[in-house]
Amino acid sequence: MTSSLFAPISRRSTNTTFLLFEPFARAPIIRPLFLWGSKLKFNKFKKPLAIILCTLAVLWLAACSVIYHEMCQPPEQFGRAMSKIPGELPFMIFPFETLWMRARAGTLHIGDRAPDFSLGKLDKTDHVQLSSLTTQGKPVVLIFGSYT
Amino acid sequence: MAFLVVYITEAHPTDVWQSENNFKDKVLFASPRNEEERAALAGTCVRKLGIDIPALLDEFGNSTESAYTAWPERLYLIDTAGKVAYKSKPGPYGFKPDELKAALGKLAM
Repeated sequence: MTSSLFAPISRRSTNTTFLLFEPFARAPIIRPLFLWGSKLKFNKFKKPLAIILCTLAVLWLAACSVIYHEMCQPPEQFGRAMSKIPGELPFMIFPFETLWMRARAGTLHIGDRAPDFSLGKLDKTDHVQLSSLTTQGKPVVLIFGSYT
Repeated sequence: MAFLVVYITEAHPTDVWQSENNFKDKVLFASPRNEEERAALAGTCVRKLGIDIPALLDEFGNSTESAYTAWPERLYLIDTAGKVAYKSKPGPYGFKPDELKAALGKLAM
C-alpha cells in the first residue's frame, strides 16, 4: 500500500498541471478520482474554453466600468440608467456595493470645513444657516434623505 | 446639539427608477417638478413617518446635496468649529445610525 501511494500515477507525467496536483492525488480517497480524471482528454477543449472565459471577463469588466461611470452622474441620470436594467441582475453579478461606495464617496473628508448653506424650513417659518448654529457652539447632525 | 433633516432629491421616483420595496409599501411618487411639489412631498414624508426633527428643503438645484454628495441618504456630524466630524459612507449601505452615535460619543468627550 505504501509503495503504491508513492508510485508515479502516470508514466506520461509531462503535463505541468498534472505534476502540480500529483502530490495531492496520493491521498487514498482522491487517488481513484485523479486516476480517472487523468485518463480524460481535455486538451481539445482548453483553447476554446480559455477564449470564452477571457471574453466573458473582458465583457464583465467593461460592464463594471459602464455602471461605475453612471454611478458618478447626477442622481436622475443614474436612476434612468438603472431603470433599464431588469430586476436584481446588477446586484447579483456585479460588485454593486463596492462600486457604489467608491463612486459616491464624495470630496469632503473628516476635518474639512463643512459647506455652509442657508435653507428654508419645511414649515416655511424661517431659514436656517449652518454656520449660525456652529458659531453658537452647537454641533449639528445632518440627516439627508427623501421619502422614496 | 442641533438635528436637522435635509430633504433632497428623490431616491426612487416612479417616473425615473421605481423601487419594488416602495411599490409594496405604496410609496409611489413621481419626481417633484418644482419647489412647491418637493415641499408637499417632504411634508407627506414627515407626517407619515412621524419625524419630529426640524426639516429643511434643499433648493431645487440640489446645491446642498451636491456639496455633501448626499444622495440618496447620508449622515453627517458637524462640530462647533464648522468642520466635518463624521461622514457616513453613501447610503443605503453606509447609512448607519450606530456609527453616528459613536461619533457623537467621541465628540462629547
